[in-house]
Amino acid sequence: MIRVKLIQQKKELQVPGPTSVNALLEEIGAKKTSTIVVCDKRILTPDKTVEDGMVVEVISVVSGG
Amino acid sequence: MKCRRCKKNEAEVVLRRHNAVFCRDCFLPFFENQVKRAISEFGLFSKEDRILVCVSGGKDSLVLWDILLRMGYKAEGMYIDLGIGDYSEQSGEKVKTFAVKRELEPIIVDLEGEGMGIPGVTGTLKKKECSLCGIVKRHFFNAVPKSLGHTVVATGHNLDDEASRLLGNFLHWNKKYIEKQHPLLRETQSGMVRKVKPLVRLTEYETACYALIREIDYMPYECPYSRGATSLVYKEALNSIEESVPGTKARFLFGLLGGELEGLGRKREERGAGGEDGEERKCSVCSEPSFTELCAYCRLKDEVEKKREKGKRRVQR
Repeated sequence: MIRVKLIQQKKELQVPGPTSVNALLEEIGAKKTSTIVVCDKRILTPDKTVEDGMVVEVISVVSGG
Repeated sequence: MKCRRCKKNEAEVVLRRHNAVFCRDCFLPFFENQVKRAISEFGLFSKEDRILVCVSGGKDSLVLWDILLRMGYKAEGMYIDLGIGDYSEQSGEKVKTFAVKRELEPIIVDLEGEGMGIPGVTGTLKKKECSLCGIVKRHFFNAVPKSLGHTVVATGHNLDDEASRLLGNFLHWNKKYIEKQHPLLRETQSGMVRKVKPLVRLTEYETACYALIREIDYMPYECPYSRGATSLVYKEALNSIEESVPGTKARFLFGLLGGELEGLGRKREERGAGGEDGEERKCSVCSEPSFTELCAYCRLKDEVEKKREKGKRRVQR
């Protein structure tokens, strides 16, 4: 399983791997234009594959109010 | 996916509106170049200016402070502690950590110390937090740089902030606000300091990528009062369009700034950092520019003091 940390929601999910970043974002209902997926301090582009056992952070970039 | 510029490194940043993908090494000069372009295109400031960067602890303002320092500008940071519990505490820590790492010291305005912490004021006046916060921030964004000799005030507003603001103003036909929207608001004779937005050419996604690559530790959580804010609804709508039609946000905003709509958008020389139209004078209490005897901030302070005094008398009886 992939450990997915949703930073702003302060939540953690388990998602079966392997999957692409694109598919992962779709699954959690996040937009590519306003979300960044990070693993080991590196930003993963949507085409990247996320494998079982990886820990990724999903960061929303939308700010303000 | 490889970086399209160096064709060597693994790409990390996808910029669909530019039809580009960059590795971190190639993204950083692109980012700096966008800031450079905004500064020169809109005539924001020069190396001689003393810039006060309004930092909230969030990504955009810290990124702005970082890049201006790297570009060799004289930039100091000012943090307004709004007194909003854990949120303000954590945000303030982020600002201090950022400054300490660069051997700098931020200017800190403590609203609680002024008796004007946002939760306390809203509790006393039973008014909306965001409008009160706006009045307070506008006051200090002008009064502090003026008293300390800064010539320019810079905020971290980015392309998404400006495009969503423009969308909101168009949807409600706020012609006055549309006319005033520009990354440069000039200083005025009445005492308004020049206000600038050097990140206007960069999206939130881009500022977040920059923060991550530069390892800028920012506050990832939003103000607890911003939940349900209309600006977030407009941002969401624009991001939905952007997913299908990349570049829409930029074309929308830069169309206005480029003078697409004749009659909308003032001539550069007419665009001042003042508020509404009308004759500006000075507030009789704080001497800040105002259209009335007391400026909005001093009126608010006066109202709070009177209410609190009334409350105290009631308790004594």
